[in-house]
Order: sequence, then C-alpha cells, then structure tokens
Amino acid sequence: MASLKSREKRFGFGILAAYLTHTAIFWGYPFVWMVMLAFSRWRFVGKPSFVGLANFLRIFQDSNFIRVALNTLNFLAYLIPMLLLSSLLFAIALSKMRYFKTFVVMSFLVANVSSGVAYSIMFANLFAVNGPVNRFVYSLFGFTIPWFNHPQLAIFSICLIVTWKFIGYYGMIIYAGLQAIPTSVFEAARMDGASNWKIFWTITLPLLNPSLITVTVFATTLTFGIFTEPYMITGGGPMMRTTTFLIYMYDTAFRRINPSYATVVAIVAAAMSFSLVMIIRRIFEREVAFV
Amino acid sequence: MRRFWIFTLMLVVVVTFAATKLVFWTAPNPLQEEFWKEVISEWNRLRPDIQIEVSVIPAAASSEEAILTAIAAGTAPDISENIFSGFAAQLAEIGAIYPLDNFKEDFWKLVETRKMRNIVEGWKVKGHYYVLPIYSNPMLFWWRGDLLKQLGYDRPPRTYSEIYELSSKFTKPNERYVMQVIAGRNWWDRWFDFITYYYAASGGKAYIDAEKRKAVFNNEYGLKVTEFIYKMFKENHTAVELGTNPFYFGTILGKITGPWEINWAKETFPEVMPHVWLAPPPVPDDYPADLPVYTFADTKGLVIYENCKDKKAAFEFISWVFSNVEHDVLWIEKTRMPPAREDLVTNPAFAKFMEDRFFKAYAEAVPYAVPPALIDKTIDVQLSMTTHLIEPLMHLKGEPKDILNNAVKEVNKILF
Repeated sequence: MASLKSREKRFGFGILAAYLTHTAIFWGYPFVWMVMLAFSRWRFVGKPSFVGLANFLRIFQDSNFIRVALNTLNFLAYLIPMLLLSSLLFAIALSKMRYFKTFVVMSFLVANVSSGVAYSIMFANLFAVNGPVNRFVYSLFGFTIPWFNHPQLAIFSICLIVTWKFIGYYGMIIYAGLQAIPTSVFEAARMDGASNWKIFWTITLPLLNPSLITVTVFATTLTFGIFTEPYMITGGGPMMRTTTFLIYMYDTAFRRINPSYATVVAIVAAAMSFSLVMIIRRIFEREVAFV
Repeated sequence: MRRFWIFTLMLVVVVTFAATKLVFWTAPNPLQEEFWKEVISEWNRLRPDIQIEVSVIPAAASSEEAILTAIAAGTAPDISENIFSGFAAQLAEIGAIYPLDNFKEDFWKLVETRKMRNIVEGWKVKGHYYVLPIYSNPMLFWWRGDLLKQLGYDRPPRTYSEIYELSSKFTKPNERYVMQVIAGRNWWDRWFDFITYYYAASGGKAYIDAEKRKAVFNNEYGLKVTEFIYKMFKENHTAVELGTNPFYFGTILGKITGPWEINWAKETFPEVMPHVWLAPPPVPDDYPADLPVYTFADTKGLVIYENCKDKKAAFEFISWVFSNVEHDVLWIEKTRMPPAREDLVTNPAFAKFMEDRFFKAYAEAVPYAVPPALIDKTIDVQLSMTTHLIEPLMHLKGEPKDILNNAVKEVNKILF
C-alpha cells in the first residue's frame, strides 16, 4: 500500500516537474531578472549597478512616457467602441444567418491568425497616397486622405486594422453569449408586445453583459500591447502619436540602450492596464442569471 | 599505409580543433555579402589556423538593433561591419568594442597603407579609434534628365529658388511634385534630409558641437534649411507621401540617394537610369556658385568586439583585407560604393571606375562629404529631430523659426 502511495507521489511529481521547470525557466527567471533590472542600471554589458528607485522616479519627469500614456488613451477611445460595435454587429448578423455560417466565421478568423508584418505592409500599400483606396477617393472627390500621416487619422487607421484583425474572434465571444440566452425569454417578451428594438435594449444587451465585459477587457489589454502595426506602418509617428507602450519599451531598451528603464516602463504600463481592467469591471460588470 | 592514414586523420583533427574560429557579420546587403564571401574564402584558404565564418547580420529593423540584441544575449560576433560612427560611440560607451589603436604600430601601418590618416580622425571616440572605416558614401541628388529636358532645362536646379521655379512648371498637386524633400520617418532618415541640406547650406559646418554636447543648428543656415522645407510643403511643391518608387515612375523629378542604389536601379529601371543627372544637394540662393557644395557622408566601418575570442587574429585578418588595394578594387566592382580612402581619384588602381559617370560623381564628392556628429545619442537625437523638427515642418505646425528653436531645445535636453 505504502509503495503504491510513494509510486503515486513520484508519478505526481513527475507530471508536475515539467510544469514547474517550464515556469521556473520562462516565468521565474525573467521575473527575477525584471526585478533586478528595475532597481539597477544595466546597459547590456557588465554587471547591473543598484540605483534604488531612480528608474521609477524618472518616469514622472519623462514627457515621452506621458505622451505614450495619452496615446494609449487615444487608442482606447477609438478601439473599444469600434471593437464592441463591430463584433456585436458581426455576432448578431451571424445569429441571423442560415447558410455558410462556418465559412463566414472562418473567413473572419483568418485575419486573426495572419502575420502582423504581412498585413501591415499590405495595408500600408492599400492606403498609400497612390494606393487603390486613395486613387478611388481621388477619382470621386478630387482629394486624397492622409491615412497614416495625420496624427488623429493615423491612430484611427491603425484602430481600423486592429478591429479588422479581432472582429472575428471577439464576434465569436459575443455570439456564444447570444446563443446562451434562452429563446423563451424573447418569446415571453414578444407575447407581452415588446418591439424588436425594445427587446434588444432591455433584454439582449443586458444579458450580453458578461460577453461584452470580456471583450472590453480583452480590447483594453490588447491596446496596451499594440506594436506591429504602428511599428511597421508609421514607425510611431506622426508627431509620436502612434508610439505605443511596446514601441517605447523596445526603443528604450534597444535603441537608447537602456533596458533598465524600459523594464520600469513595462512594469508601470502593466500596472496601468491592470488598474484600468479593474475599474472597467467594477463599474460595468453585472451578474447575469437566466432563471 | 595504415600509419599514414592515422597520422593524416590526426593532423586533420588537430588542425580543425586548434584553428581559431572567428565569426564575422556582414551588412544585410547582397552585394557586400558577395564581396566578403569572396575575400573570406581566399583568407580561409591561405590561413587554416585562423578560420573566419561569415554570416549576414540577423534580420531586424536595423543592424544596430540586431547587434545590441546579440550583445545582450551573449551571441555577438567577433567582428562586424556596417557600424556608423554614432553607433560606434554608443558601443564604445558601454565597453562592447575594442580600441584598434591598442594594436599600436600595426594599426597605424594599416592606416598609412590604406591612405586614411585624415579619415580616421573623424572616427575618434574619447581619444581612441574603435572603427576601421570601410566606405564613405556621399549623398547626391538624382534628377530625371529626360523630364527636365522636356521642360526646357539643360542642367539640374542648384538653388532653392530654382527648385520653386521648376516646381511651378511641373508640380500638379496630388499627381506629381518637383522633388522628395523628406527621406522618411526613421531616425536615420535625418541624415538624408535635414543634415544633408544643413551641410550643403553651411559649407559642411557641424550641426552639433560634440565637444560641448550642444546642438548648434539654430543658426542662419539651419533657419534657411527650415524655411526651405516649410515652404516646399506649404506651397505644395512636395507632399508628405509620394507612393512607391516615385522617382522612377516620374511622380517626382528629383530625390537624394547614395551609390548603393546604382546597381539595383540599373537592373530594375534600365530605361530610366541613362537619363539620370547627378547633382549636389540644393543650396540657399546666396550660396556662391563657384564654391563646392558639401553633403552628408553615409560612412560605415568595421569593429572588433570586446568579447572576441582572439583579437590579434581578428586584426591580422582586417589588416590583410585592407592592406591590399586589389580588395578595394573588388569592393568597388561588387558594391559601387567609394572605399574610405584619400587616394580614390589619384590612385591608378581605381582609374577604370572613373569611366562610370555614377561612380565618378560619387568619388569626386568624397572630399566634400561630411560624416555625422560623433555623439553617443545619435538615435535619440535624430528621433527627436523627427518629432520636433521634421514632422512639424511637414504638417505646418507653427512658424519655421519657432519650430527650429524648439527642436534645438529638445535635442539639447537629450545631449545634456
């Protein structure tokens, strides 16, 4: 009996070992290194020297950091409504479809698994001044649209690309939420004489709260992690307006040769993202039960 | 017989394991890669005791990022090329590269043999010479001679006013413009626009005082250049975006470029290249016509890293490559870029290249081509110039003088 127990124990540890080793290498080691970097000054060569809170104090005087934080809010202001609205419309359209549902879903999900570099180049050419979109606009109205050259338009254009990428994925989350609502609820409302509009606002939307909050939280964390599109298309410009936290971290670490400060930027950005998610959940999250 | 084979096998094993193996990274440019592969295979044949393994700098947004990532990961090569002076200053600052003057008379002998005594002075960082300059690319303007002739011109425009006048005959907003004024949004693009125009306007004067760590381009020359760029955008002589290959498709009449584009353009646009006219960058109207026009030198060199397994062997290899003038001849044949040597126009070894009008124009501009300011914060400074100088000018956010003063203030914050 005892030998069976010890064999089970060994087996249990054996299974755990793979996970623990993976965590120690890919999570534990970078975490320890991150803490060391945050409180020291290191420039890729030599040993880190302890500087206390200097890196954290610097962030409050860094106008670039403030610019990037404002940019992130600007991105959020476009991206959250764009993603919520488009994926909600996608989910509703999908629930009304009778045929080719799988084909449509797969078509939208292709965007989600496409290479960021490849589609960024494609969009940059598509929206270029002599690209097909602008040629069409010019032939109709006699002017071109500076998609990536006007500060606000550049943010908007990148949000359009990100929305295109995630509409299928987030749409599926909302679609799952729609499917979870019992049809009896709608039937009861119709019998009481409620219009479609009324049903949507007072039944569908409130009951979709968990799915919508999930999408909002995902979109928020996504915004803090935008990198490929602005890096490839605008290089963080114009006027630094599309410089995101990831671009700033990357530039600070590898162009300014200051990985210590880049680490602190990463920590503060993560804290901001986490706080924002908590605030969103606190304000908008509702408990939903189908009785 | 058996003994002979065993002996041979042992010898092969000993030579293989005893040989010093050095890793050399070349620029991600197929023409340069071709040159280095040829030279290194010759060296490896001659010197089985010091074997060089050649590979291209790994793919990244820029060579600098790839090298820094490799240094951080502990996988840096022993030697690499494609190092610009500002990056060398950064690498020297963090102690990642080895001073070549530590090889004392061997280094100076190489400098004398390759005729680059004055050139190396432009690469001095904190009293040491970390870089062996390989080539110096002056930036020149290419103009569409065929289109200019149609407009009644027999030479490219020289001054800002001549450009405005040419523009009035050619530019049709949203369709075609007189020239590309801004090279792009990357940090290095400032070399090819503002800094080039500044050197041209000022007769090659410094835009940053490296000793005092102070930006000095808010002077009369800086203002003339700033006003020129501003006017070009304000009066629609140029546009923020010009599409792909605008020069070859006739969307613009002129643009700035280096000799690296010659071979590519000859292959890709053979019908355009015979009609290209080369000229120095445009200058302000009051710049004397009889004085030479200065321009920017895109110059790159080679370094030995501090972690190199055998620095002496690495230097031996470098000396062998650059002491032989035939290697520089091969370099020109492969890349069409002028080697960083002072005898380019006088050395008979290079005479045959002077028949190529493109190479000749670039070689003749070498004496008037000025390298960038030797500061360790080049990337940050030029990112700041992009944000605070070029972009406000492109988008007409303020008056040229205010934009210029603000840009200098921002750059000085970085340098301080």
